[in-house]
Amino acid sequence: MNAHDTAGSTLVNHWQCGVPVYREPVVTTSLLFFGAWAALGLTLALARVVSPLGPFSGMNDAYAWGIWKSFNVMTLTALGSGPLAIGMAAWVFNRTKLHAVMRTALLSGFLFYATGLVALGGDVGRPWNFWNVILPWRWNAHSAMLEVAVCMPLYCAIFLAFESLPMLLERIYYTGDRRVKTTLLRWAPKIRRIYPYMITGAYVLPIMHQSSLGALLLLAGDKINPLWQTPVLPVLYLLAAILCGSGFVTFLLLIVCLHFSRPLDIGVLNELGNLLSVSCFLFLTVRFADLIVRGQLGRAFAFDSMSALFLLETALILIPAAVLRNRTVRKTPRRLLLLAITACLGGLLFRYIPTTVAFSPAHRARYFPSTPELLITIGYISLGMAAFGIAVKYFAVLPGEISDWNRMSKIFREKRRAPKAKKETPWLVSLLTR
Amino acid sequence: MRLAITRRQLLKGIIGAGGALASGVASSALAEEHPAHPVAAPDAVGMLYDNTICTGCRACMTACSETNNLPAERLCPIDPAISTGLWDVPADLDSKTKNIIKLYREKDGDNFAFVKRQCMHCLDPACVTGCPFGALKKNTWGAVTWNSSLCIGCRYCEVGCPFDVPKFQWDKWNPKIVKCELCFDQRLKKNQEPACTEVCPTHAVIFGKRSELLQKAKQRIADAPGKYFEDRVYGEHEAGGTQVLYLSSVAFEKIGLPKLGDTSLGHYATKVSSVLYRWLSGPIIVAGVLGAIIKRNWKRHEAEAVRVQKETGVPEQL
Repeated sequence: MNAHDTAGSTLVNHWQCGVPVYREPVVTTSLLFFGAWAALGLTLALARVVSPLGPFSGMNDAYAWGIWKSFNVMTLTALGSGPLAIGMAAWVFNRTKLHAVMRTALLSGFLFYATGLVALGGDVGRPWNFWNVILPWRWNAHSAMLEVAVCMPLYCAIFLAFESLPMLLERIYYTGDRRVKTTLLRWAPKIRRIYPYMITGAYVLPIMHQSSLGALLLLAGDKINPLWQTPVLPVLYLLAAILCGSGFVTFLLLIVCLHFSRPLDIGVLNELGNLLSVSCFLFLTVRFADLIVRGQLGRAFAFDSMSALFLLETALILIPAAVLRNRTVRKTPRRLLLLAITACLGGLLFRYIPTTVAFSPAHRARYFPSTPELLITIGYISLGMAAFGIAVKYFAVLPGEISDWNRMSKIFREKRRAPKAKKETPWLVSLLTR
Repeated sequence: MRLAITRRQLLKGIIGAGGALASGVASSALAEEHPAHPVAAPDAVGMLYDNTICTGCRACMTACSETNNLPAERLCPIDPAISTGLWDVPADLDSKTKNIIKLYREKDGDNFAFVKRQCMHCLDPACVTGCPFGALKKNTWGAVTWNSSLCIGCRYCEVGCPFDVPKFQWDKWNPKIVKCELCFDQRLKKNQEPACTEVCPTHAVIFGKRSELLQKAKQRIADAPGKYFEDRVYGEHEAGGTQVLYLSSVAFEKIGLPKLGDTSLGHYATKVSSVLYRWLSGPIIVAGVLGAIIKRNWKRHEAEAVRVQKETGVPEQL
């Protein structure tokens, strides 16, 4: 059933549906490691709640936005745009193979958004006034900040949560008794009925707020270097989100499947590589068309520090765009992984640079994140990683083979014991020798 | 009973409704909220500062701090046994200083000039455009004021302001945005002019209607051609125009007034989004198109799921 004979060769589809990671203990050394960083970061974040912003951050009146906004929110939610990129490819552009990796995208996206929003909550100085968001007549409809403030929590709390709901219900179904099962079976058609409408919302909202994150910077005007300050910044921010989203899901799947020694699916990886390459090209087309129209191409090749940053960022996106056109490369996991990392770095640089590096206020001032500021940021990222590590073991997130479904209730009910002294293959080694 | 509407009638109806909607959008677009070159309201007030008259006595700074109840900026004493430190010596505008006089001295030569810095009270302020819940607003007479119960402390105003004016209380648990409000509550409302203009002994900074101040400034330039830098008034067009105007004997950039275009930042930042988001038309259209495609693909997907389940007995996973 798994083998489809295509043109004489046997192609095995290893990624068909979500299957939890089983026969693995939940508490591992890496979980404790990330858990410790998360605990440290969250403790500091709590301390920040009862303390003024000043002693906790390196921010000042000239650089009023620090890494909590510019990195956790404006940059990292690009990596969390996998549900937008993969979902649009699967549901709108009919790349049906990608349905199998949608759950990985959803979980990572949800964690990036949730931690980003928590970071935002600790960054604003007067969070108690945020309740005004429920009174639409107080909204300043012209403010990109308002759009982000309304749209991002709404997307994360309603649409991403709804899309991820089947993962949770599935576990309840397979571990529950008959009464739970009949209730859930009654719910299932209702969820399926509203599902297409909900996923439409789940694409429209991130299109709105990912572009609005770019629109935020428009108001800064001349403070941002002309290589980045452009009226099409909203479009570029959105395209960078799609690029980073597809790149990050590719990266994450490869790393995690290798870590848990799960088989890879070359057909799906090929599709992901294709999506990544196309989104890189789309981004570069708009980027260069804009520079040419605004007559700033000379500045891009002036070989000063800003031009060097631009060239680095562009090279990091151009290389995967071009190399991934080669089908053989797309089917080689090691190369695909390296190129996905490259693309993500390029996209992240593009999103981060205009917020801080290429941002020069009228007053001479410096900004470098303070130690607690950095630790809190690291804490949020570690929290996401720890949560991901736990979730893939309890829920059917990572793609696996459809034959595993027959054993699903057994897998979900499996008692997790400490591993027997089995010989671990370090995934990094297995990756580099593959 | 079925309504007898022919396809042609329906089409006509749709086109008609669409046309009406389009013309509605077009006519409301005419009354732009953030025009490129905003026009000052007839009652707009402001200040005119002329640094050829200013003697740098800093009486305006003291008056400002007193009227606005601002704490003194204190420099640490060199020797605590001898003194308690220098009082009220701010280096620049900050969360304790809404108004400051600074001295500019040419690198070589005796040429010097003072500059008074405070909020410019832009005609179309970037801070007001960006403020999510309207805590900063263009109030009566065009004064830009801050409302503590609407501010979430996002500091977008600091990022947006081209003059780096709004300041945040980094050392407070209940931080406020501090900026000149033209003494709106303290004096303007009581029909008094701002504290700084009232105390200025040489009338280097004067208060009045913006239109009259602009006229006065142009008269001064006409009376003494060549005296003022570029024979122009700073603030007449900068960033779409400001209600605080400057005359200077040295280049504006040298005394810290940035070189800016004459288009309002609010216009630049919202000219596309205000059209796309008008009545949420852009998002609704995108949702309609995506929704239609997804609905079609969803049906196909369901049919495939049913087929797979029949073949393998495995239910489809969402």
